[in-house]
Amino acid sequence: MTKKVILHVGTPKTGTSYVQHVLFHNQDKLLAHGIRYPADRFDAHFLAALDLMRLPWGGLEHQAIGAWDRLATQVRRWPGTSIISHEILATASRSQVGQALESLGHGSGTEVHLVLSVRDLVRQIPAEWQENIKHRAGLSYQRFLEQLRDPERGSRVATWFWGVQEIPDILDRWGSDLPPAHIHLVTVPPRGGSPDLLWERFVRAFGLDGLSLRLDGDRVNPSLGVPEIALIRRINQAANDVLEPADYRPLVRELLAHQTLSRRTGSPRLALPPAAHPWVSDVQDAWLVEVEKRGYDVVGDLADLMGEPPVAEWADPDHPREDDVAGAAVDALKAVLLESARLRRAQDRLTAELDETRRSLERAHLRPTYRLREKAVRRLESARLGRVAMGVYRLLRGRSSRSA
Amino acid sequence: MILGQTDGERRGWGWVAHLRAGGTTPWQAWTGLAEAGGRYLPGAQQLELLRRVNQVSAPSQRLAERVLAASAPGRGRPDLELVGAASPSRFGPAPVDPAALPPDELVRVATSLVADDLVAAGPIATPAPRRTRVVRRRYRIIGDPLVADSVRAELIADGRPPGGRLDRRNGAVVVVGVELSRLLAHTWTARCFAVGAPAWSEWVSVLAAADRLPPRVDLARACAEYAARLEPRRVHVVFDHDQIAPLVGVRHRFVTDTDLPAQAVELARRTAPVLGLLVTPPARRALLERLRHWLSEATGPTIAVPPRTRDWVAERAQGMRRDLIAGGYAVHGDLGVLTAGMAAGIAEPSEEGVLALAIELLLDPREVE
Repeated sequence: MTKKVILHVGTPKTGTSYVQHVLFHNQDKLLAHGIRYPADRFDAHFLAALDLMRLPWGGLEHQAIGAWDRLATQVRRWPGTSIISHEILATASRSQVGQALESLGHGSGTEVHLVLSVRDLVRQIPAEWQENIKHRAGLSYQRFLEQLRDPERGSRVATWFWGVQEIPDILDRWGSDLPPAHIHLVTVPPRGGSPDLLWERFVRAFGLDGLSLRLDGDRVNPSLGVPEIALIRRINQAANDVLEPADYRPLVRELLAHQTLSRRTGSPRLALPPAAHPWVSDVQDAWLVEVEKRGYDVVGDLADLMGEPPVAEWADPDHPREDDVAGAAVDALKAVLLESARLRRAQDRLTAELDETRRSLERAHLRPTYRLREKAVRRLESARLGRVAMGVYRLLRGRSSRSA
Repeated sequence: MILGQTDGERRGWGWVAHLRAGGTTPWQAWTGLAEAGGRYLPGAQQLELLRRVNQVSAPSQRLAERVLAASAPGRGRPDLELVGAASPSRFGPAPVDPAALPPDELVRVATSLVADDLVAAGPIATPAPRRTRVVRRRYRIIGDPLVADSVRAELIADGRPPGGRLDRRNGAVVVVGVELSRLLAHTWTARCFAVGAPAWSEWVSVLAAADRLPPRVDLARACAEYAARLEPRRVHVVFDHDQIAPLVGVRHRFVTDTDLPAQAVELARRTAPVLGLLVTPPARRALLERLRHWLSEATGPTIAVPPRTRDWVAERAQGMRRDLIAGGYAVHGDLGVLTAGMAAGIAEPSEEGVLALAIELLLDPREVE
């Protein structure tokens, strides 16, 4: 059996979370077929990617220490096929790619296959701006687009976007040492097709044909309409300076964006401005020509990368209808009120529990025997013989804790 | 893509060989050719950093290879190709002249290497603290971290940890005061060497915009909180730091840390997030102490409040002075210190200074105890 590693390195917003969910929850079934998805937690490969690329991520990086080496060790030890998947690997530098491939056994008899799932920029650009806004950004859609179009790519936004989205460049960095036949490009089908089609393409790219896997979990990330995303942006601008990052995620990203505003389905959807379509077409045409020339294994259809034509009625998130934003704001306020009420109840319950604990403690301290016992223990603990005696006493009493 | 094929690429590899041999010629002036000496041509940031290292002193071969293989940590510009060496391509970031790179790009790469050196060196070995004394003065010490943290560490080592009951008969709360702009700078410095911090100007601007002082800086609030539990006269606000010793029950004077120059603190601030990816938070704190030790002899101006926030700091200092007088606390030294003229210094650390310091650290053959 050839030892093989399937390395899925991106791109974001191409169903990667769903793929990772299925692989994580079917580890046993995969193992029965000689395929290992080495992950002891859902985000294990994300942590490994942070470690490989030395990428701080809001405090999560502390959990990533040594994660890549551990993952690579598991892969090297497994004699069959191993799968690694995380979309932020797309940004790895050539040096990091070299380090990653070598650690996985490339050049030492292991057959490395690279999988890159890709989606048209007509959908990727608005999705990436929305993701920025849901991570505290306050920049306008227009400014975001300007930064993407700046040839210098000097901004953090542009650096990150092109780092994870520019297909030929990602494949230059990741694929320059691999034969084109070992590089598999999975295209995301256009909107409106069969919901199973993308997964079927991943099945082919990963070599999972014929395996009966449990397919549950959400296939689509929650997305926001134009007034909803405009509202979150305004909240970011107003609250960023006073809301701690640790509070932002549960309150704004989860409570407001995901649990509340994403459920408002009647709003106009975020789309690429019609004026940006010619530029995007030029970029994608160049990518298509290059990718076709290189002769990779395409799973799907490269025509999927052309994207949909401009929408007939484009809604500008920088100038949304104020009525719609006000409606979204009322829903957001209602959600915050309900959450505040829930937290007040929790606070009251905890305060009552704390008061009762304090009263119990005071009752215990008030007993004269407590003070005598406390003094005796303190005196015994200050001398070696006393500590030995206390140890024996605790042993006989059957208490594992050492401290008094 | 096969490397080392075009003249441009051969020129790039020629420059790599030149830099590996300790050369300092800038890329634009380089003309020599060589065959490919690796899987890929190192990035412009790495090559320029190695040239800058060579300008200071000849690095070991190992250090040269580490610089060439390092990637810049965190988010930011990716490894860039050399203009004139890379084949023309419509994809990827535009190639650059490495001499035109801002020092910040080189600092990013350097911090990764400094972090590796810190991990290799390990924390400073300190003797175990002596056993906790049974008879000792109960105390809490807060306020200026430059003084309070040093004093607390020394007292712990001497068997006098803070804690224990502060009742009406025993113990003191010592609030170490200093001129407010210095207190802000010391608090930011302490954060840079502990949990990490935003850039100085950003940190101060956010505080000024919110008209809010961090808990460690808001001495009046800290005093009021303790005074609610103890009588106000048991809360000692100390501006004459020689007065700390008797309050915590010792006789000798304390040796406290000194102000570090702005670029040294900035280097720590930039290195801390990288360390966070290599070691656990407690170990990171210990390694940043090691870094403080490495930086202890650095010279240069200290950080100062940016001009646009000076009025706010002055107002808050006056307000704090009023609150401390009104609180009826025991004041040791001159309360006027709080509102004395703001410390001189620079409002932004110099990126060139940070880079020079990082290079100095990388080249320093330190003894590791």
